[in-house]
Amino acid sequence: MTGNTSSPTVLTPREIKLHLLGLILFIGLLCLWYWLSTGIRAVPTLIEMLQDDDPSTRIVAAEQLGQVGPAAQAAIPRLLAQATQDGSQHANTAAAALKSIDLTAARQVMAHFIPRLQNQDAQQRRTACAVLGSLGPVAKPAVPALLAVGHDPDELVRRNALMALASIGIPSPPIVAALLEGLRDSSSLVRQTAVTQFAFTVPLTQPVIAALTPLLSDSDRSMTTLARSALDKAKPDDAAQLESLGMMAQHSAARDYALHQLAQLGPAAGDALLPVLPLLQDDRPLVRYLAAEALGAMGPAAKPALRSLEQRREDSDPVVREAVAHAIAGIEAATATTAPSAKAPRP
Amino acid sequence: MNMTTYETSSRLRVLTRMGFWGNLIGGLLLPWAIMLVVEVAVHQVPFVRAWRSFTLHLFAPGYNFFLIGLLTAVPFVILAVLILLHLGTAPLQDPLIPRRRTLGLAGAGLGMLVLAGWTHLEVLLHPDAQGALAYLYLPVILLASMPIGYGLGRVIARTLLPRPSV
Repeated sequence: MTGNTSSPTVLTPREIKLHLLGLILFIGLLCLWYWLSTGIRAVPTLIEMLQDDDPSTRIVAAEQLGQVGPAAQAAIPRLLAQATQDGSQHANTAAAALKSIDLTAARQVMAHFIPRLQNQDAQQRRTACAVLGSLGPVAKPAVPALLAVGHDPDELVRRNALMALASIGIPSPPIVAALLEGLRDSSSLVRQTAVTQFAFTVPLTQPVIAALTPLLSDSDRSMTTLARSALDKAKPDDAAQLESLGMMAQHSAARDYALHQLAQLGPAAGDALLPVLPLLQDDRPLVRYLAAEALGAMGPAAKPALRSLEQRREDSDPVVREAVAHAIAGIEAATATTAPSAKAPRP
Repeated sequence: MNMTTYETSSRLRVLTRMGFWGNLIGGLLLPWAIMLVVEVAVHQVPFVRAWRSFTLHLFAPGYNFFLIGLLTAVPFVILAVLILLHLGTAPLQDPLIPRRRTLGLAGAGLGMLVLAGWTHLEVLLHPDAQGALAYLYLPVILLASMPIGYGLGRVIARTLLPRPSV
C-alpha cells in the first residue's frame, strides 16, 4: 500500500475500513464453522464417530446425536446396536440419545432390558436398571418390573432400581411408594439413594414430607442433610413452583424437565394446564409424549384438554398415540368418578 | 518524509496490523491452546489423543469449547478494534503520540492476556462444580481490566518516553 507513505496517520482510512471488513469476514467464517458443525449437518460425522475405538468418543457422539433430536434418525440403527450390544460400556448413553431421537427405538431398548432384570448375573441386573433409568419417562412400562427388583438380594441392584424408578418418575404413586420403602432398606447405600431422589429428582407429596421429617434426627449425618435438602424444596401445593414449571415448559431448554415434573405432580399440576396444552403439537415426539402424560396425570382438571387430545389420537408416533389414548381414558375415568358425587341428586 | 520517519511509520503500521490480527486470532486460540497444553503437559495425554478429544468436545453439549473460545475472544476483539481506531489513526507528525498509545494498548493487551491465561489455567488445574462460571465472568473482568492496563501502559510510556523540553 504505497499510499501510506504520505498518510498523516499510521493507517489510512481505507486500510482501517479494510481491516474492519476483515473482522466481519472473520466473524462470518466462525459462524459458518459453527453452523456446519452443529445440528443435522453434523449427523454423518457423529455417526462415524459412533464407531470410534475410543469409548469416550462414542459417548460424546451419542450425546450430541441426542441433542440433535429426531433429525438424527439416520443414527438409530447404530445407537440401537450400541444400546443393546452385550458388554457395551455405554449402553445408557446410547439409550438416552435414542429417547430424544425416536421413542419407538427407545422402547425397543426397554423391551431388550426388562427380561434382564431377572438375569442370574447381578451385574446384568444392575446394568439393566441403569439403562432403563437412562430412558427416563419413556420407560414407563418397565416400572412394574423395576418395582419387583426392589427386593433383589443385591444392594447395588436395589439402589440402581430406585435410581431408575426416580428417573422414570411416572406413574408417580407406585414409584413414590417404592422410594419410601427404600428409606427403610437394610442397606445404608439404598436408604441414602432413596432420600437423594427426594432431594433432587422426585417432587414432594404430603406422605413423603411425613416420611422425611423423622429423618431430620437420624443418626446418619448424610441422611439428615439429604432429608433437610428435600424438605427445603418447594412443596406440592406451592403455587409459585407450579407457575415456574409452567413457564419452564414454554422454554425449549427446560421443557422436558418441566413436563416430567408436572406429570409426576399429578392432579396438583392442574393449574398448569394452559402452558402444557400447546405442547401436544410440538415437533419433538418426546415433548408430545410428556405433555400427554402430564395431562393424563392431571385428572379431572385436564377435562378441557380432551378435545386437543382427541385430535392427537392419530399422532405419527405410536408411543405418543398410546400415551394420548391412555391420557383420554384416565381423564374420562377420573371425571366420571367425580361427576356423580358433584351432581348427586338431593335426597 | 525523511528516512527515519518513514521507517518509524512503517514499523508502526506493521505493529498496528499485527496487534489487530494477533488479538483477534490470539483471543480465540488462547483458551484452546491452554486446554491442549494442560492435557499434554499436566495430564500426560499424548498430543494426538488430546487433539482428538479437543475437536470432539468443540461443539459437544455440556463442553462447548467453541463457546468458551468465543467468550474469551470478545474482549480481545474489542481491543483489536481499539488498536485499529486508536493507534491506526495516531498522527505520524508527532511520533511520541503513536509510541505512547502503543505502550498503553500493549499494557491493556498484556494485562488481559495474563488474566485470561491465569483464569483458564486455574479452571483446568483446579476443576470444581462452579468452575464454568469463570468462563462467563471472564469477558466482563477482561473488559474491566482493559482501561486499567491501558492507564498503566500510558504511565510507563510517560516515564520512558518524556516529551523533549522545547
